[in-house]
Amino acid sequence: MTTGAINTRAPRGGSQGVALVDLLDRLLGAGVVLSGDLTISIAGVDLVEVRLHALITSVRAEMRTTGRYPEE
Amino acid sequence: MIESASYVYLAARDIPQDVVNGVTGVAGSPLRLVRSAGLTAVVSSVDLIEFGEEGLRRNLEDLQWLERVARVHDHVVHQVGSATAVAPWRLATIMRDDTRVAELLDSWAVELKASLDRVEGCSEWSVKMLSTPAVSTAGQREPATGTAYLQQRRAANARRTERAQNASVEADQIHIALSRLTIASRRLPPQDRRLTGHQGDMVLNGAYLVRDDQSEAFAALVEQLGTELEDFGSLEINGPWPPYSFATLEPTEPA
Repeated sequence: MTTGAINTRAPRGGSQGVALVDLLDRLLGAGVVLSGDLTISIAGVDLVEVRLHALITSVRAEMRTTGRYPEE
Repeated sequence: MIESASYVYLAARDIPQDVVNGVTGVAGSPLRLVRSAGLTAVVSSVDLIEFGEEGLRRNLEDLQWLERVARVHDHVVHQVGSATAVAPWRLATIMRDDTRVAELLDSWAVELKASLDRVEGCSEWSVKMLSTPAVSTAGQREPATGTAYLQQRRAANARRTERAQNASVEADQIHIALSRLTIASRRLPPQDRRLTGHQGDMVLNGAYLVRDDQSEAFAALVEQLGTELEDFGSLEINGPWPPYSFATLEPTEPA
């Protein structure tokens, strides 16, 4: 990305070009949030928190194996 | 026999059957329409081995599984959303059966309709601001004395703090300026750089509900504000999305 510029991507009609993180921001953090019959009972913990924790853990593990990002 | 349940993607007022014909759901099964209370939900069957409590607990830890389900969910919402106003539901909302889905439409009919009215004719846009990382002092002349070293350190810290404060003020102003062209706006938490790998600080992760006839003006404003940022940072615009961040329900009474 260049300084002082904008990047545009148009996901209309499909989402393949959209970063997974952007998608999960919306699919997990927003939308109509009604408790389903099943997800509500996952360890009594909100699904979003459970999932984001899992995602970070698994992305970290992948990054470590590819060496793309330094460990904290 | 494997027990199955209903995975819910979205609600809308009315959805012509042909919009979902031939579209496949998260577990490879076809989409169905469930109608009640003047509303229509899009659902598909999932088996409880994969999507039950135990299955979800396991699968949500699996990044590939999560991505696959998220992409299909998004694809369904995009497909239907291109035909009519939609209220997308959160990922992995699973009901026992279609009767329960219909009950949910009944009990939330007023709120769902208000939500659909709000997003009608609008799309969601994402605008992020990344501040430019402070220029590294590496390569500067070595300070001759301990005092000079401390002064240099203090000056560098002060520059960093000032820059961060300025970036935060810029982000607030950009958010306010963009909000004037929108029906609604929200600031989402900054994304984790461990997931994005971005440089600098994400000082704005905004979601904006924009009328479709205003989308060009909105994009032009983002471009203008991005240019005005000069070396302060950059703006990134993504969209249009279905109104994921704006279909939230505000209960008027307990469900």
